[in-house]
Amino acid sequence: MKREIPILLTVLCGLAITWAFFSPYGPSQAVNDELLAWGTVLFSVAFLLGIGNLVRISLKQISSGHPDRYYKALLLLMLFGYLGVGISEIHGWFGITEGDNLRRDWIYNRIFQPLQATMFSLLAFYIASAAFRAFRARSMEATLLLVAGAIVMLGQVPLGDQITGGLASRWLAFLMSYINAAGQKAIIVGAALGTLATGLRIVLGLERSYLSE
Amino acid sequence: MASATGLDRRWIFLVMGVLVVSLYVLGEAAEMPVNEYVQSYYDTIEALPEGTIVMLSADFDPASMAELLPMYQGTIHQLLRNNIRVLNVSTWPAAPPYTRAEFDRIAPQYEKVYGVDWVELGFKPGDDVAMGQIGQSVRSAYAKDDRNLKPLNELPLLNDVSAGFGGISLLITMSAGYPGILEWIAQAGGRYEVPILTGTTAVQTPDLYAYYPSQLEGFLGAATGATQYLQLVGEQTEDVHESRDRNQARMLIQSWVHIFIVLLIVVGNVLYFVGKRSAA
Repeated sequence: MKREIPILLTVLCGLAITWAFFSPYGPSQAVNDELLAWGTVLFSVAFLLGIGNLVRISLKQISSGHPDRYYKALLLLMLFGYLGVGISEIHGWFGITEGDNLRRDWIYNRIFQPLQATMFSLLAFYIASAAFRAFRARSMEATLLLVAGAIVMLGQVPLGDQITGGLASRWLAFLMSYINAAGQKAIIVGAALGTLATGLRIVLGLERSYLSE
Repeated sequence: MASATGLDRRWIFLVMGVLVVSLYVLGEAAEMPVNEYVQSYYDTIEALPEGTIVMLSADFDPASMAELLPMYQGTIHQLLRNNIRVLNVSTWPAAPPYTRAEFDRIAPQYEKVYGVDWVELGFKPGDDVAMGQIGQSVRSAYAKDDRNLKPLNELPLLNDVSAGFGGISLLITMSAGYPGILEWIAQAGGRYEVPILTGTTAVQTPDLYAYYPSQLEGFLGAATGATQYLQLVGEQTEDVHESRDRNQARMLIQSWVHIFIVLLIVVGNVLYFVGKRSAA
């Protein structure tokens, strides 16, 4: 039963969603509506599971004196601090109320936003370093990749286009609209067929890897 | 720190840093030519009749703010200026603080009323399942709005929205990755045949050419697309001028950084082949 019930549920849900896709009226849509609502509820529950797992692992590392223990402690402090402030503001606990200057917005704008933006902007420096150290014309494929990359980088910006007398943007348009689009379409169609085949196998109960089998 | 070519990578970081900072201080705005994808994005919105409802999905976070927020601002301006009603949703948890701040700033300029001219439904967890649910029925996806936590039937705008994207003429997503434009195309475009526009990060932009113009009416690709779009919106919207000029100036920084990276690739390869020949 441990195997049969999950497989049965999967098959039924899969068939119901497929049925709803091709029959946009009546009870099929009500069933679809319900299943999608369950899906988003399950997704939210997965957040809680994720938090639980994160706390468990972090506490274990803190108690065992792991070199990252201070980072883990900070992570837990921010996690529960932000959660606490947010929930307190929504419910008006401890004199913390919703207002124009929300404390959770302050934390978001002054800490989270600059940190995340900074981390992402560091990419530019690493790309520059990698361009010098790793992008090598070792083979024909690598050379094509390098040339295409250089054309895209130059064609994408006004100065690059001016330097090449307008050639870079024309080549960029050709690369993107023909070579890239053709390749992308082939990949999309291939992936869609693969998804369809996997979906069919799951709905028919043939694919059971999601049960760790 | 020293690489195979003998150059410490910190020198590269230093040159890059000096380049970015000096151009940030000294750079000046310059007009860019507008490509067909951006023009199509702009024209699609311009062609909408007054009173139309557009779903605007903010699917980004601070990491992609530099590219996507100017597009988002410009889009709100263009929509509200043309008296188009906006239903604002998000499938990324970090987006709503931005979207609220932008609507708070821009909506009063056009004397728009919350609940009538725009509604914020906020973050919906569930990635593409959430998108499917929003498409299936906005009312079953959201019990209340995100701003005032009011039931949806108390918001006049929602009276004109029905199941299966009924009443919604266009979907616009500012997409930074997964879930984003590719999932919206599958969940909304393909199923409900709702026209879609998008603004994306540079990383995601190459994926979009395969969908234009059949599944995508137009798109804004990265900072370049944002700058070109702000130029178009800025012709009729003064509030966008500062953002447009800032983006144009940033394009100069991006230009030089791109050229610097191309130079690094060339120099790196020259040194590589010279080293290889010497070793032989």
